[in-house]
Amino acid sequence: MKMLRLVLAALLTVSMIFSVAACGGATQTPADSTAAASSAAATVEAASTAPAVEKDAETGLTPMADRSPVTFTLFIRDPGQAPSKDNPVLKKITELTGVTIDYQFLVGDLNEKIGVLLAGGDYPDIMFGADAKKFLDAGALIPVEDYINKYPNLKAHYAPFMKSMIAGFDGQHAYTVENYNAVPNKPAPIFEDGGVGFFMQKAVIQDAGNKIPKTLDEYFKMIEDYKAKYPTIDGAKTIGFEILCDGWRDFCLRNPAQHLMGAGNDGDVYVDPNTLVASLYQITDSAKAYYKKLNDEYHKGIIEAETFTENYDQYLARLSSGAVLGMFDQGWNFGNATNALKSAGKFERTYVAVPIANPGVKDNYIDPPSGTISGTGGLTVSTNCKNPDRLFAFWDWLLNREVQDYLQWGVEGKDWTKVGTVDKVLTPERREIMRDNAKKRDQTGDTLWQYTPKMQGLYDDGAPCGPGDSADEYLASQSEFDQKFLKDMNIQFPAQILSTPTQRPAYYPVWSFPLEDGSPAKVATNKIADTCRKYYPQMILADPSKYDALWDKFVKEIATDNPNGFLDEVNKQIKQRMDAAK
Amino acid sequence: MNMAVNELALQKKAIKLVDRRKLWNRYKSQKSLFFMIIPCMIITFLFSYWPLTGWIMAFQNFRPNKGYLKSTFVGFEQFKFLFQDHIFWQDFRNTLVMSVLNLIFGFVFAIGFALLLNEIRSLGFKRITQTASYLPHFLSWVIVCSLISNILSTYDGTLNNLLMWLGLIDKPVLWLGEQNYFWWIVAFSNVWKEMGWNSIIYIAAMSAIDPQLYESCEIDGGNRYHKIWHITLPGIRPTIIVLLIMNIGWIMNAGFEIQYLLGRGLVMDVSETIDIFVLKYGITLGNYSLATASGMLKSVISIVLIAVTNYISGRMDEESVF
Repeated sequence: MKMLRLVLAALLTVSMIFSVAACGGATQTPADSTAAASSAAATVEAASTAPAVEKDAETGLTPMADRSPVTFTLFIRDPGQAPSKDNPVLKKITELTGVTIDYQFLVGDLNEKIGVLLAGGDYPDIMFGADAKKFLDAGALIPVEDYINKYPNLKAHYAPFMKSMIAGFDGQHAYTVENYNAVPNKPAPIFEDGGVGFFMQKAVIQDAGNKIPKTLDEYFKMIEDYKAKYPTIDGAKTIGFEILCDGWRDFCLRNPAQHLMGAGNDGDVYVDPNTLVASLYQITDSAKAYYKKLNDEYHKGIIEAETFTENYDQYLARLSSGAVLGMFDQGWNFGNATNALKSAGKFERTYVAVPIANPGVKDNYIDPPSGTISGTGGLTVSTNCKNPDRLFAFWDWLLNREVQDYLQWGVEGKDWTKVGTVDKVLTPERREIMRDNAKKRDQTGDTLWQYTPKMQGLYDDGAPCGPGDSADEYLASQSEFDQKFLKDMNIQFPAQILSTPTQRPAYYPVWSFPLEDGSPAKVATNKIADTCRKYYPQMILADPSKYDALWDKFVKEIATDNPNGFLDEVNKQIKQRMDAAK
Repeated sequence: MNMAVNELALQKKAIKLVDRRKLWNRYKSQKSLFFMIIPCMIITFLFSYWPLTGWIMAFQNFRPNKGYLKSTFVGFEQFKFLFQDHIFWQDFRNTLVMSVLNLIFGFVFAIGFALLLNEIRSLGFKRITQTASYLPHFLSWVIVCSLISNILSTYDGTLNNLLMWLGLIDKPVLWLGEQNYFWWIVAFSNVWKEMGWNSIIYIAAMSAIDPQLYESCEIDGGNRYHKIWHITLPGIRPTIIVLLIMNIGWIMNAGFEIQYLLGRGLVMDVSETIDIFVLKYGITLGNYSLATASGMLKSVISIVLIAVTNYISGRMDEESVF
């Protein structure tokens, strides 16, 4: 039976891949022509009735002056699906601006795709998050600072970040238009830890009398107790702790030690908060103690050896079953499992991040809205873009508050209603749409909003830029269980279980640093990561008496991976960034 | 005496001329055939020979923005990096071992399966079996690896459940986490996926064997096993040898997907192949030169292997590809 289901699932996957591929290939031309037709119609209408300042009746938005049809191709570094061509919001935007975006989501492997793009020289007009350094080295990017300064909204939006953007690569020009982290205005409160952390099932916390674990020992003690009390959950064997080791997602295995030491997520190094010198946390005593603890837990049966061989899908399936009590992960990485649990009504089986750190150390998981950007991430514009002026004018137009509201919230009355003086909540119908990824994609302006410069957080008058920034909307969208959970814990939002975030230094985070292709530093990071992914599982599964010997062997092997070649480069870049921020 | 020698030389020359004329006439008479082959030659040149100019990257520190002409030449630097890296040699070993296992198991099972199918009298059953057995060939490795890891799972995995039920083991075995098992898992997964497909060609070869041979074997008192051993196997021997030679050319390609998809930290030392090495240290690091260098190395080794096998089998059996 299980087999049959697997086969069916496999067949379904295959057919879906085919249909996606087919859609991608077939829809391009009709889309362009409908876009052209609708915007041509709009132009004619506008020309015959009134000058360009006439507001759109449905949305109240002011159209752009130049509405001649133009299409920009946009490559996105992640797999996904382009919004339907019938998406009413995107159609309206095209009508008002003449601009159509042709979304090209990643199919297959990112590095392979980048290699193909580079080798062929056939760059899309815009690229999102596609290793800008490589394209810059290939001479494929245009500097963006002059265009940004030409348009008032863009100029105001990026003024606080321009220095970092220019310092990002060569110190002379800015090449990336950061769309996610550039927030010049007041940030929204943090509701949940969507990033890194030790996660625990809410049921475990409730069962322990709403106790919050603070150290590894407390964390695993609670899991052990719960597992002893409930050996099975909904018929499945209870799994104490999962460690995902599949491919690049094995940060779940390799990264925890830096957080136990009280750091945020810097990637492969620990940066001393006082001296700002990077070192390898992988070989510290903290790491040694952490993997020893996991070794203990493995021998107690809390960790299953299976976790080291399972793939990402199997991992998500385990979490979705509700039988896994805890794991170290990043919120977005198991978002699908959370959604599955929610739609199954198992709210007590969803997870919350808990403040685990070494005894006496303050946890530092949450990245506060930094007010700084790396200067290397976001959107890049390629030399193939024929009309960058139109593109930046379009981006500038999108940054208007009314347009942002239309993309994120929709139309007043139909999609949202006012609460108090400035806050808004979605209507139940719209909330349903936002919960369903397919509907959100095909019926709202979400995709366009995601991959363009945008407003996030709170406007100066305190109004939330989008539903994700609204406290009222967050609370209104919570299930009954979660509302009670928060009340019992005596907190407003789950993120308050963790320590209040502290400001990160300007260089943060190290994982965003560009390392030159083929350089010794880049080879070294690969080798260090490989050594870790080889040894850590062995240590956890090892006979406890052999643990120390294995650890010594591991430390010796790390020393042969040229760690200083990597650390020197990182330290150099930290210094550069700190100097640039002064 | 001298004159005789001269005459002989003259005669030889005349014969040569006539030969050459004959050859030229033959060419002329086949003019249309030559024209027909031109497009094929152009395609072969474009897709098989022209890309070889890219090998120049292996001797450069190639950067896409500089191109072939402006990238700096580094001589054998890339090859030196390969040869000095112990991980490369480890991956080289893994590639060879897994390839040889695949080759042996692939041949034995495909031929064995073809022999068994050939002996089946019920045509309907034979067809169903054959179709069912080659269907897995059309599944992608992503799907197959998902199936394998579910079957081998310690968490309600079919194999562990079966062995526990039979009482052969008392606790589930972490099949994918043990270095000793990895090569065998790869070999048997390949067998499962490709056995039916590979056997098609043998079945075809068997159907070409003259039935009179079987009849005379029967008259001589041979039973089924005798027939298999003395008639069927020798009958498909040329096919086996040609396929063997061609497959040996692929020995540096142990595959990529299965090792990439099933490989985890625990088995990294035995799971990584040269292709994965190229991906990790060449493509992902943007070091195209290194990737080219190892690709070149693979091609050179493959050519040598093919030539050697071809020579040996030609000597032994007069059965060779070129």
